[in-house]
Amino acid sequence: MAEKNVIDPSNASDLTPTSDYISHHLTNLTYGWCEKSESWGFAYHQQTIFPESPCKVSEMGFWAFHVDTIFMSSILGVIFFGFFGLAIRAAKTGVPGKIQNFAEYVFEFISNAVSSNFHGSSKIIGPLAFTSCVWILAWNLMDLLPVELTNFAGAAGSGFDYFKVLPTADVNAPLALALVVMFFVTYYTIANHGLGGFLKEFINPIELVGYFSKHVALALRLYGNLFAGEMIFILIGIMFGQFLMSFGQTLWFFPGLIMNLAWALFHILIIALQAYIFMMLTIAYINLACAKH
Amino acid sequence: MNVNATFFAELLAFSIFIFITYRYLWPSFSSILDSRREEISKGLEAASESQKKLEEAEDASRKMIEDAKNEASSLINQAGSRGDQIVEEAKTQATEEQLKIKSAAEADIEQNVTKAKENLKQEVSSLVLAGAAKILEKEVDAESNKQIIDDLIKEL
Repeated sequence: MAEKNVIDPSNASDLTPTSDYISHHLTNLTYGWCEKSESWGFAYHQQTIFPESPCKVSEMGFWAFHVDTIFMSSILGVIFFGFFGLAIRAAKTGVPGKIQNFAEYVFEFISNAVSSNFHGSSKIIGPLAFTSCVWILAWNLMDLLPVELTNFAGAAGSGFDYFKVLPTADVNAPLALALVVMFFVTYYTIANHGLGGFLKEFINPIELVGYFSKHVALALRLYGNLFAGEMIFILIGIMFGQFLMSFGQTLWFFPGLIMNLAWALFHILIIALQAYIFMMLTIAYINLACAKH
Repeated sequence: MNVNATFFAELLAFSIFIFITYRYLWPSFSSILDSRREEISKGLEAASESQKKLEEAEDASRKMIEDAKNEASSLINQAGSRGDQIVEEAKTQATEEQLKIKSAAEADIEQNVTKAKENLKQEVSSLVLAGAAKILEKEVDAESNKQIIDDLIKEL
């Protein structure tokens, strides 16, 4: 089954097939600065289209870009926000069509969540909640694509052997969202209570830890849930792949299919829930920042 | 977990998408939903207004029908009484006519009787004269005996 595709000949010697399978699934397609060759390039043996550098992913430092995360998140943003843009462009005030109806439903859902949980006055909170919720949902939906998809694509000669389709399972993406939330929380705290009011919160230095951990937790909650979900898909794949290889019975395909399906169905809940939780916490944090003490 | 420069790219992408939503999506969605809300409230208002109008019209038509019924029944009553009246009138007229005719006939008869009486008197007077002349065997001067004759006639 899929295992055959993922064994990287370059390091097959120092990795068992299982751990290699996992690490392959958890490694991003990386473009970064290589100290060894003092040049920018794609990490060693990840793809065959562009020139590669001699550095492996682990050897690259901070100045590396996860091309798959950036590409997927951007393209998903373009698709989803483009969908809403097109829906609103074709919109009419009379009786709405099906697409417009759906778009308006999503908008009203988020708009209601904002108006019922946020009591200050802010023009950015609505768009912020909308963008984060829709974008995260778009990312998370990628988790429902089969985990083997990119391996098959690599095996089919797409040139990219490493490609993670799920941006949420890359900690950089949720962390970026959380930093933007932190920026707005800080901005509204200072705007509503003044710089003194903002600094007064940290008279007890432990508050400073809380202030940062709150936002880091916001990112890690999202990241952790989706990463774990992805991991379970991978483990299900390994388990039944092992059965298949050990006993040579293609019958093992079916329990694997059922378990995958069961987890995917349950995961749909997590996907939507995590996007919703992120949005609600964003609203709650900014509401707290605007609240009069 | 591998934090690296991807973070900045994601930051940039998120900022761009927030800006797009803030600048284009959110206002147009808000405005379209607000205008729809207004339209719906207007429609509901118009509906309740027309409902009221309908009720009013129903009331008016009910009243009209009632009026028409009343009018019709009064007309019928009127017509009935008018008919009675006409019949009565005709009756009285007929009676009157009858009386008139009767009285005329009576007058006629009276007149004829009087005339006949007058004629009879003339006849009688002439017969008396003739008879008297015959009795007296000479001409009775009518002129000279007029007084006597007249008295005679009156006695008749």
